[in-house]
Amino acid sequence: MSAKNPSLGDRFWDFASYSFIFFLIASIVGPYSIVVFSSFKSRQEIFGSLNLIPTAPTLEPWMAAFDALGGPLLNSLMIATGTAALSLLITIPGAYVFGRKEFPGKEYAFYAIISALLFPHLILVVPIGAWWLEYGLYNTIPGLWIAYQAFVTPMAIWVLRDFFEGLPDNIEEAARVYGCSQFEAFLRVVLPLSAPAIAAVGFLSFLSGWNDFLFANLLTNNTGPQTATVALFNTVNSGEQILWSRMMAAVIIVGVPPLVLYLISRRYLGNAFSVS
Amino acid sequence: MFARIQKGLSTNLGHRYERVIAVLKEHWFTYLLFLPTLLYLVFIVWAPFIRGIWMSLHIWPAFGVPEWDGIQNYTYLLGWDPFFTSVRATAIYMTMTILQLILALGASLAARNLSRFDNIVDGIFLIPYTMPPVVTGTVWLYILHPNSGPLMGWLLDSGILSEPIFWRTDGTLSISVLTLVGAWTFWQLGYLIFAASISGIPDEHYETARVYGASRIQQFLKVTMPHLKGAFIIVVSLRIVRNLIKVSQPLQMTQGGPGFDTSVLGILLYRFTLNQRAYGLAFAVGFIMFLLAIGATFLFIREFRRGQMEASA
Repeated sequence: MSAKNPSLGDRFWDFASYSFIFFLIASIVGPYSIVVFSSFKSRQEIFGSLNLIPTAPTLEPWMAAFDALGGPLLNSLMIATGTAALSLLITIPGAYVFGRKEFPGKEYAFYAIISALLFPHLILVVPIGAWWLEYGLYNTIPGLWIAYQAFVTPMAIWVLRDFFEGLPDNIEEAARVYGCSQFEAFLRVVLPLSAPAIAAVGFLSFLSGWNDFLFANLLTNNTGPQTATVALFNTVNSGEQILWSRMMAAVIIVGVPPLVLYLISRRYLGNAFSVS
Repeated sequence: MFARIQKGLSTNLGHRYERVIAVLKEHWFTYLLFLPTLLYLVFIVWAPFIRGIWMSLHIWPAFGVPEWDGIQNYTYLLGWDPFFTSVRATAIYMTMTILQLILALGASLAARNLSRFDNIVDGIFLIPYTMPPVVTGTVWLYILHPNSGPLMGWLLDSGILSEPIFWRTDGTLSISVLTLVGAWTFWQLGYLIFAASISGIPDEHYETARVYGASRIQQFLKVTMPHLKGAFIIVVSLRIVRNLIKVSQPLQMTQGGPGFDTSVLGILLYRFTLNQRAYGLAFAVGFIMFLLAIGATFLFIREFRRGQMEASA
């Protein structure tokens, strides 16, 4: 049929793909518009009415959510920032070596990274938790910085390696010709060229740290640094009645920073897994 | 004769030593840069993992002296009914891998035709994926809440339902809801990888196919699919591991209940760790998860090697 009337077949597939995109967008925008509208509802309206759009919008849920989340948000910020910084310290030199150097043993090192990338890192929380209790890192922010490397660093190396590999072949040699040492070539030529990609990978590590709940909950208790995700979990599972308008405001407050960071860094991250 | 062997051995060792020195001299800078990664792998991944296996052979409390227990933790699990409830929940939950693949493939193929708004569409697609799973879990917990959620309210109001569905007290319904929400949240990883791979297909391939009269379906089967094979294997292996270790989103929505009906293996590990402080038992579950994940790792490595060989050929 498509041979007889190709435009009809094309039109059918165009229609199908637009419908599918519409379906996906609706499946995301729908729930999130409920979230946004609900976050402006008063206590009476969130429990008593079926309107999607609040008739008397109020900022009270937002104020209350910020009040309740202030400390946890600060904790999350510090934990995620430190996680990203530590991860970059490990990742930048490692990814550089993988992307641009040939050396004996590279193949093995590479498989080690891949298996870390696909390692079910969740299970490491048990031995790390026991160690942290022993060595006083339990309930501390540096304890979380280190523990988060378990799942942050393999991904960061993978993405950054891909970027380093894509840089022009001879930039280091060119730098050496101008009298730079190996180290200077790395520091003064490769690093500045890679600044946007490094920032993107830093954002990615930041959001992995920010988004985590499991490690944060198992490596701290209620006397330690509580992250925003743990605070959300505890509020929902406290057994008390949940004030959903406040909860929806909290959900937006905790959810938007990683979304924004990801969208900013998106174009540097997309191709690390592309294979032909 | 003994002396000769000894001499030969020592010169052999000597050569080897010299060779190592030569390699180190030539590549010292490279190895220095690799050192932090190596330390990371040894101390944050391998050492805890090996220690975890050791722990799983003990009764290991959070405080106090661990007690050797042999393989009792494992035999206990294999004789404990809730463990099999958990395995069943995991098996059902893992079917979201298939849903994620379908959504990811469909989205990347459909988005390829977009000439406008592609950035906005892309951004909207990524909203659930980039937010903390606890957040997306909370969103759906509210929307689907039997008493105070808007969806049940509208369905009751319009007469479609005569009474709310209390899905959180029904094991089969709960795990189904978790699976669908998990598919909704995490299909974007596949979309990102497929989209990057599709954008690498030269337009000429499609033009050639069209010249020879290939229909859209034939173009898909003969041009797109072969090109996506590698990406497909990478996505499948990554998703299998990541789906296997999901805890926070299902935990936020059902707390692993009713009973153990939605306690996937990750949640079982969580419950042993946090509620019972039984670290040995918790890692026994973890080790079983590791064994389940290994297959996916080999799949990934094999595919990666194949891709590399083709790239260098």
